[in-house]
Amino acid sequence: MVAVHSRLDRLASRTLGGHLLLALGAAVLLLLLSTQIGAYDNYNLTAVAIFAVAAAGLNLLTGLNGQLSLGHGALMAIGAYTASLLLKDHELPVVLVLLLSVLSTGLIGIVFGYAAARLRGPYLAGATLTLAVALPQVATRYKSIFGGESGLTVPPTTPPAWLGPDFPPERWLAWIAVAAAVVTFVLLANLLRSSAGRAFRAVRDNEAAAALAGIDVARTQVLAFVISAACAGLAGALFAYWSGVTAPAGFGVTLSLQLVTAIVIGGLGSLAGAVWGSLVLVFVPSLTSGMASTLNVPSAIANNLPLAIYGGILVIAMLVAPHGIQGTLTRILTIGRARWGHTPAGGQKGVVDWDDPASDP
Amino acid sequence: MSRFFVLSLNGLTQGAIYAAMALALVMIWRATQVINFAQGAMAMFTTYLALFAIDHGVPYWLAFLVALSSGLILGAIVERVIVRPVESAPPLNVVILTLGLLLFLEALAPMLFGGQIRSFPPAFSIVGLHFGNSQVAFSPFDAFTLGSVLAVMVLLLVLFQKTDLGLRMRAAAFNPDVSRLLGIRVGRMLTLGWSLASLVGALAGVLIAPSLLLYPTFMDQVLVFGFTGAVLGGLDSAVGAVVGGLLMGFALSYVGGYLGSDLETVGALVILIAVLMVRPRGLFSRHRLRQA
Amino acid sequence: MLEVVDLTVAYGPVVALHGVSLTVQDASITAVLGANGAGKTTLVRTISGLVRPRAGSVRLDGRELIRLPPEEIARLGIAHVPQGQGVLAELTVDENLRLGGLWRRDRKAQRGALDETYELFPPLAGRRHLTAFSLSGGERQMLSVGRALVARPRLLLLDEPSLGLARRALVQIMGRIKALVTERGLTVLLIEQNAKSALSVADDAIVLHLGNVVAHGPAQKLADEEGLRHAYLGF
Repeated sequence: MVAVHSRLDRLASRTLGGHLLLALGAAVLLLLLSTQIGAYDNYNLTAVAIFAVAAAGLNLLTGLNGQLSLGHGALMAIGAYTASLLLKDHELPVVLVLLLSVLSTGLIGIVFGYAAARLRGPYLAGATLTLAVALPQVATRYKSIFGGESGLTVPPTTPPAWLGPDFPPERWLAWIAVAAAVVTFVLLANLLRSSAGRAFRAVRDNEAAAALAGIDVARTQVLAFVISAACAGLAGALFAYWSGVTAPAGFGVTLSLQLVTAIVIGGLGSLAGAVWGSLVLVFVPSLTSGMASTLNVPSAIANNLPLAIYGGILVIAMLVAPHGIQGTLTRILTIGRARWGHTPAGGQKGVVDWDDPASDP
Repeated sequence: MSRFFVLSLNGLTQGAIYAAMALALVMIWRATQVINFAQGAMAMFTTYLALFAIDHGVPYWLAFLVALSSGLILGAIVERVIVRPVESAPPLNVVILTLGLLLFLEALAPMLFGGQIRSFPPAFSIVGLHFGNSQVAFSPFDAFTLGSVLAVMVLLLVLFQKTDLGLRMRAAAFNPDVSRLLGIRVGRMLTLGWSLASLVGALAGVLIAPSLLLYPTFMDQVLVFGFTGAVLGGLDSAVGAVVGGLLMGFALSYVGGYLGSDLETVGALVILIAVLMVRPRGLFSRHRLRQA
Repeated sequence: MLEVVDLTVAYGPVVALHGVSLTVQDASITAVLGANGAGKTTLVRTISGLVRPRAGSVRLDGRELIRLPPEEIARLGIAHVPQGQGVLAELTVDENLRLGGLWRRDRKAQRGALDETYELFPPLAGRRHLTAFSLSGGERQMLSVGRALVARPRLLLLDEPSLGLARRALVQIMGRIKALVTERGLTVLLIEQNAKSALSVADDAIVLHLGNVVAHGPAQKLADEEGLRHAYLGF
């Protein structure tokens, strides 16, 4: 117990400066990493960063505020289409495109947020799931604007001249995505430490008690939705650059469900959990398809084995590690510290909770 | 024949299938407070089993029974092996669990039955009936679809309302602890609830397969529309599920017919949001008694 | 008939019962008395299998009940009338009563027991087909007790039957139960906070205080001990 307390104290004392330092360290490490790996791995690194942004936003909404969204893929679509439409006729700086995408998704998030704040549990799940199914159809329907089934092509971002003529564009995109993810995480980590973060949790734990404590429950829920939507918008815009084309098929129900999977497998309610979850999303399928292709089995089996394994992993993970990766790690660390009675000094990259582990459900 | 009439008939038949799916979801929700996202995939699997039987020379009706009875068994297995261990886990974990099962079954089916798109035979002709000189957009198979969904619903109604077994099942769903004190073997009742629900789902599968063709994800859309119907009706109400499912059928048919088929799901979304904004717990919810 | 030996129950770090022992004689009423939080409800919930004890044993005619699930314990003839919310509010009065005896699978006897219950509690007869949700607190309590009697139990566990009941109804119910004890050999474990009225119907009694048995013996004897009454029973 003592060890846990000292850990909490340490966490509580971590301030904006601390977050920034940690973030800067992570960013530098990742950027260095990106120079050491090939195009394909940079591509994967970008994907991890993108999913981490979206999953962090969803984790704020679902894990910390208790609103289950099965339609976050649709919000990513809004970000992606915003970016693609902006880039259709103009050449705009990446930062501007990303910011405008965040803005547009956030604005639409206000509308959805007000609707969502009235709904609970499975009803919210049903409404957001329908959103995930319906929104891509709008893009199909209004062909002249959204390009129909084939979608809109997105021109790649060219690395700036000062990086030299041979700088690989995949690495440049990875840098952008990693930078965006790090900024997002710093902002979210500070938000969660603020009174808004406490309000999110209070509403999740007990709406009636939160209301009695003077928290405006509906406003808190809308705020959580808007922030979460903004993250999804950012992820969507990055996704547009990453895939080079924005089409309805890329934003089906599967994407939304993958994001929910990521936060539950990673660890509900913690930002680190979002990172774990996106690592799982990106690497487990590629690992399993790699495995399946080395096996000497008929193609009907080899083609479907990755999905079967993925589904099996979800089932088994929920049976054996119901608190997700982050929750399980936190437990192991807590038990370990309590047993050996010492606190490892730093050096626990990737296992850091950016928010309060005691709040994990 | 007026367009409206044609669309209504079509909506009724589709609605019956969505109603069956919605009912399956509501039965499971009421028994175990779980939204079974794998319901569609389970129905897909049992439909494949029926097709497998047909491929091996089994007559249609026997294959039909294969689908239904394998639905019963599959439901029981899923409840016992996968859902029971997480009985007291947070609801979101169970959501992920059923999603995992969905993916697993959708991958397993092509491994076992081959990945190509298959057609599934209807029990009766799917050509519209003739009345005098005019042909209506209502086939014998549509009549069979409506009739069998109706029959299953009546049977379930009788089971739940008129029999001791049904009474036990309802008690177990409403209050497991008190039911145990009354000597009701709650675990068995919940397993049976899942079994019956997936039988209803399996029925939806064999009924819609002839018009949708059979492939691993062919039930996904039916699940989404069934779920929407269930939410529309209110998850706690079996009547609500049936009404919600039928409403979905009509709405999708009208939206598709008048505004274009690519707006069907948008129409579903608009209706759902409109209803939920007025009644956040669905049309037939009773704000009372028990918090979910 | 019922023997509880050294029963220890804990909810996490909070120990609710510390090695409680008691014996309930056949065809008798044993009262369990004590203040709020004494562990009375925990005791009955453990006997009926809803709570797993940390240690100890509960035996019905020599048969160990610990580790049996509640539904199997009920099927041995132990009917537990839980405190407060024991009725299934979504079901009708008739359905609630029927549920009591379903496990016996003896339809005829069940019908008879149902009719008897309606005779015993006339207010219920008039509301047969209404949901239990529409009943008053007292009527719910009647329903709960009536449903337990429909099972024709050997051992009846009554958890605070006086709660929400009018004095007259309580006297009537207890009178009926007393009659069943003498006529049919029913055995009763009666949990009560209202010690005075419980001691007036009970044959034996035990007093629980903070999870320990502080007194036990014939009901009349306990009722006469002034010190005990003042310290634990509040009358």
